[in-house]
Amino acid sequence: MTRPAIVIGIGNPDRGDDAVGIQVARQVAVERHNVLTLEFDDPSEALDAWEPEDTVIVTDAISSGGAPGDIHVVDVVEQRLPAGNWSSGGTHALGLAAAVELARSLDLLPRRLVVVGVEAGRFSQGAPMSDAVLDAVPAAVDAVLTAIDATKGDP
Amino acid sequence: MTHKLTQGDHVLKVDTLARVEGEGAMHIVVRDGQVADVELRIFEPPRFFEAFLRGRAWTEPPDITARICGICPVAYQMSSCLAIEDACGVTVPDELRLLRRLLYCGEWIESHALHIFLLHAPDFLGYPGAIEMAADHGPVVQRGLRLKKAGNALMTLVGGRAIHPVNVRVGGFYRLPTIAELRDFRPTLERARDDAVETVRLVSGFEFPDLLQPQEYVALRSPHGYPLEGGSVISSAGRAFEVADFGSHVVEEHVARSNALHARLDGATSYVVGPLARYSLNHDQLGPLAREVAHDAGLGDECRNPFQSIVVRAVELVHATDEALAIIDHWDGAPAASIDVPPRAGIGHGATEAPRGLLYHRYELAEDGTILDATIVPPTSQNQPSIEADLRAFVQERLDLPRDELVRQCEQAIRNYDPCISCATHFLDLTMEEQ
Repeated sequence: MTRPAIVIGIGNPDRGDDAVGIQVARQVAVERHNVLTLEFDDPSEALDAWEPEDTVIVTDAISSGGAPGDIHVVDVVEQRLPAGNWSSGGTHALGLAAAVELARSLDLLPRRLVVVGVEAGRFSQGAPMSDAVLDAVPAAVDAVLTAIDATKGDP
Repeated sequence: MTHKLTQGDHVLKVDTLARVEGEGAMHIVVRDGQVADVELRIFEPPRFFEAFLRGRAWTEPPDITARICGICPVAYQMSSCLAIEDACGVTVPDELRLLRRLLYCGEWIESHALHIFLLHAPDFLGYPGAIEMAADHGPVVQRGLRLKKAGNALMTLVGGRAIHPVNVRVGGFYRLPTIAELRDFRPTLERARDDAVETVRLVSGFEFPDLLQPQEYVALRSPHGYPLEGGSVISSAGRAFEVADFGSHVVEEHVARSNALHARLDGATSYVVGPLARYSLNHDQLGPLAREVAHDAGLGDECRNPFQSIVVRAVELVHATDEALAIIDHWDGAPAASIDVPPRAGIGHGATEAPRGLLYHRYELAEDGTILDATIVPPTSQNQPSIEADLRAFVQERLDLPRDELVRQCEQAIRNYDPCISCATHFLDLTMEEQ
């Protein structure tokens, strides 16, 4: 039996826009019951979550200089995540890009790994998500679902 | 070309001090060839959590304070539970205390493995980070990930999940693990213990820059073994006091450059908490295996070189895996997952040993259990004055190094403390200024 796609939301729900990865994963869980959704606030935890044959979509807040709410979709098996501030805005000990590249170095990447990043505006402790990022959640959920569906039929 | 600090005026800025949990800034001023000032700047949303706790129910601090840090949530849960139970005049029975200790072992294993392998070892092996190190030392990094995974799995088994465990409550737990579940975990812990022993062998062979900390060491001392889930406070200068007296010995002061508080012991003395303090004050409480590997690693009764903290963390990994196995072997259940903690008006104190050092909580409760006041003193804010003192001495001896190398070594020196600055701050930028 094929393992379900895994959707991993990364972030701290109590630090402003850092919550967006978690929010997107929770919404995906509502819309797709045949998907395994997980939540972490340390991206290195994700390394333990997948097997080589899995399809994995990671959703996280990013800070790459774009407008809050911008959505970036990167097929990580095909290309590296941009270095720098991807996923370093929260309290992560190891950023998402570092965790992914560590997995690549150790030959631990799953068969398919797509990152859906939402450009964040603020990471203040205790703050709610900004309106721009909140408004981007439906589109980010669609991007995750599209990435899952694109995998169907792959060998 | 490389520049040396003695070659002219300049300000050197490193965008982010990577591999430190959280965010902050270090600023070093060199004047006429002498280190004039070292400041660790902290940009904490001031005491957000302490303010947030006021008005909440006495049952809520374990869940709320666990969110202060994704790396050491158990520490916050354990210290808050102790403080609330102290305020309510309740002590959990031994079988629940042992489960807390087991959960705490999981956090130590996870946190120490993360720091040793992914954050600190690259400094000693000459790599910019774990990714580059993994290319040449794949099995070493995989050992670290295996250990980290074992710690997470233990936290999930006892705490419900690894990040922000949900199974902890004031008075105990919501659900007890079964004896069978714990025994089934034995092979994972045995493998982790073997990995931990190998880790001590690996890191004890690293080269350690010379640096001796003169500061007073402070840690808990527990009748139940190496300090984890409680105890009273002792220091290398012979101080000894109960956790209830913490507030009268440790004074937190505002520092203009920082909106985190700096802690001083009895108003004047900077001091150090964390693995070196814990080891130096409690090495006799280590289990036989941890004592043996510590001896083989060349550690004496006291360790005052902060660069060797990586060895002490590895020894504590051995202790945590070994003790977790012992608890699993001897724990034979509890009559109930928790005990009642009825509220009453009063003040309670709690302190436990977070992976990074002593973590103190104090709560004042109203008669109905509403929290009137909360104080949280995390390990990193206690260590801040000592980090600055260490850096001052360290940089002074190395002013003739090329500045890139000096900055690299400073970053390594800061990482010795495994500063969990997210408990207290934002990105760590390192700037050096010569006047």
